[in-house]
Amino acid sequence: MTPATSLKQNGLVPVLGMSAVIVAVNAWLQPSFFDASSIASNLASLAPLILVSVAQAIVILNRELDLSMGAGVSLLNCLLASFAPYSLGGVPGQLAATLGVALLLGATNGVLVAVLGLPSLIATFATSALWFGGALAIMPQPGGAVGEAIGDAYYATVAGVPVPLLVIAGAMALWMLVSRHRVGRWIVVTGSSPAAVFQAGISLIRVRLGAYLLAWFFVFLSAVAISAQTLSGDARLAQSYTLGSIAACVIGGISLRGGKGSPWGALLGAVVLGVIGNVIYFAGIPSSWQEFTKGLIVVGALGFIVFEQRTAR
Amino acid sequence: MLIGVLLALFAIGQMVLPGFIGSAQIANQLKIAAFLGLFGLCQTVVIATGGQGLDLSVGAVATLGAFVGTSTLALTDGNTAAAILVATAAGLLAGSLNGLGIAGLGVPPLVATLASASVIDGGLVLAVSQLHPAIAASPALVSIAALTSAGVPNILIVWGALTVAALWFLHSFWGVRLRATGSNPVTAYLSGTNTRFFRGLAYALSGGIAGLSGALLTGYVSQAFLGLGNAYVLTSVVVAAIGGVALEGGRAPYLGVVCAAVIMTVLISLLTALQMAEAGRQIILGSTLLAFLLLDRILKWV
Repeated sequence: MTPATSLKQNGLVPVLGMSAVIVAVNAWLQPSFFDASSIASNLASLAPLILVSVAQAIVILNRELDLSMGAGVSLLNCLLASFAPYSLGGVPGQLAATLGVALLLGATNGVLVAVLGLPSLIATFATSALWFGGALAIMPQPGGAVGEAIGDAYYATVAGVPVPLLVIAGAMALWMLVSRHRVGRWIVVTGSSPAAVFQAGISLIRVRLGAYLLAWFFVFLSAVAISAQTLSGDARLAQSYTLGSIAACVIGGISLRGGKGSPWGALLGAVVLGVIGNVIYFAGIPSSWQEFTKGLIVVGALGFIVFEQRTAR
Repeated sequence: MLIGVLLALFAIGQMVLPGFIGSAQIANQLKIAAFLGLFGLCQTVVIATGGQGLDLSVGAVATLGAFVGTSTLALTDGNTAAAILVATAAGLLAGSLNGLGIAGLGVPPLVATLASASVIDGGLVLAVSQLHPAIAASPALVSIAALTSAGVPNILIVWGALTVAALWFLHSFWGVRLRATGSNPVTAYLSGTNTRFFRGLAYALSGGIAGLSGALLTGYVSQAFLGLGNAYVLTSVVVAAIGGVALEGGRAPYLGVVCAAVIMTVLISLLTALQMAEAGRQIILGSTLLAFLLLDRILKWV
């Protein structure tokens, strides 16, 4: 398969074009856009949405949804900010504990959807209330402190490469590894035809559970990335990520009916959504127009994707 | 079962908080439940037409209806009937655009209604900052939405009338086709139902009801403000789910949704009256919803 057909098959062509246009517009409005420092700071602020969008993409490819990711990121952020300094053996121990909780949350969603067969839309909406309540219980008011080592490491560079880029690259490398393994194939195939997977003698329960667990590893990365920026805890921090991640997936050409698309599309979709904010800011649009403009651009992007998918059929 | 849960809730309320069951108390709760129930009707209609139906724009459309209503009041010298009609029409228009995108162009409902909500919300922020529309509700609107006559809240009469109308509609020729579109689009189409039209119609109706509810809400809180309808977006989906509307489409038991709206309101007010912190309220809400889903699941297995 040539790269071109691979792009086409995964519905990546429109989002590639769109992200190129929006980045070009941003670079035109902000001449310093390609400076190393500005690239680093843009990557740092885009990384959390990119990571949670990739997480959502994995669940959507599996033909489910997860409406609890935004609340989940907030809960993990509050947890990270609630640790006393040097507790659990310092930052590594705290990160490990947070990862454990993230996988527990993912497993809960997975059990409700895969084992008990609840519709994911409503079940994860219910768990989002649980996660939000949990975050508020840990941190009724915004506050606390995230270990400064996490913030320092996030803004560092390794051999000239900013750490957020390394995190994103590592996450995508992990997905590429999984998608070449049979587990990754099963996740996508289950999305396109659960019956076929079942008849092939593969446990649907285990595949769906696996998809949620894998996705919540990415949710954990997103929570660490956003915590490294704010360095404090806020139970409402990531509320917009739930719907933002779904929008990123749709703009990225991933079908909500499952099985079609690629997490790379979600990554680019998140870039489009994140850079729109930059463009609107640098274009000097008055603040009262910003929301409306952003809404129109998103609707335009969605219309474009839908049109493209219809003509492709 | 839902009625049993409701009675149990009232009993618990009376036990822990003597005076929880008083006629004034109950009238108050029903007022709040009426709005939730109306938004639940929006979801009932769109979910019933299937195709992963969902309307996440009800909050934005309600806020739109609220501002359109109060502006009409200012323009027509307090003509409340005109305000309500214009607000409903604005909602119908917004809902029709949703319907066009979803049924006509095949955009997934979740995405289409979310996108229209963001445009409407953004447009309202813009309009409010530029045009400074009137925001006050008229005395007549306040009386419809917030006052009682002979102990019965007026809004309850409105809700009751709309419930009867909804039940009639859902069982009429049109309603049956609407539900058939949800339960099996192919069969419905082959037996002569214009499934696209009915799916679009459902979103238009949902928008109209949301616009109307928005105008009534201004009467309840006495003025329009940005974000007025936001609290109802997800709660309306929850009451529809608890009320027994199957997410796959095809079923629209609105009486169940009515019960669910009352249960939800009583539960929230009970938790608030117990001065439970937001954290506890969220956890109890989430667990209640999960418990309902699981119970429903178990009943299907048995």
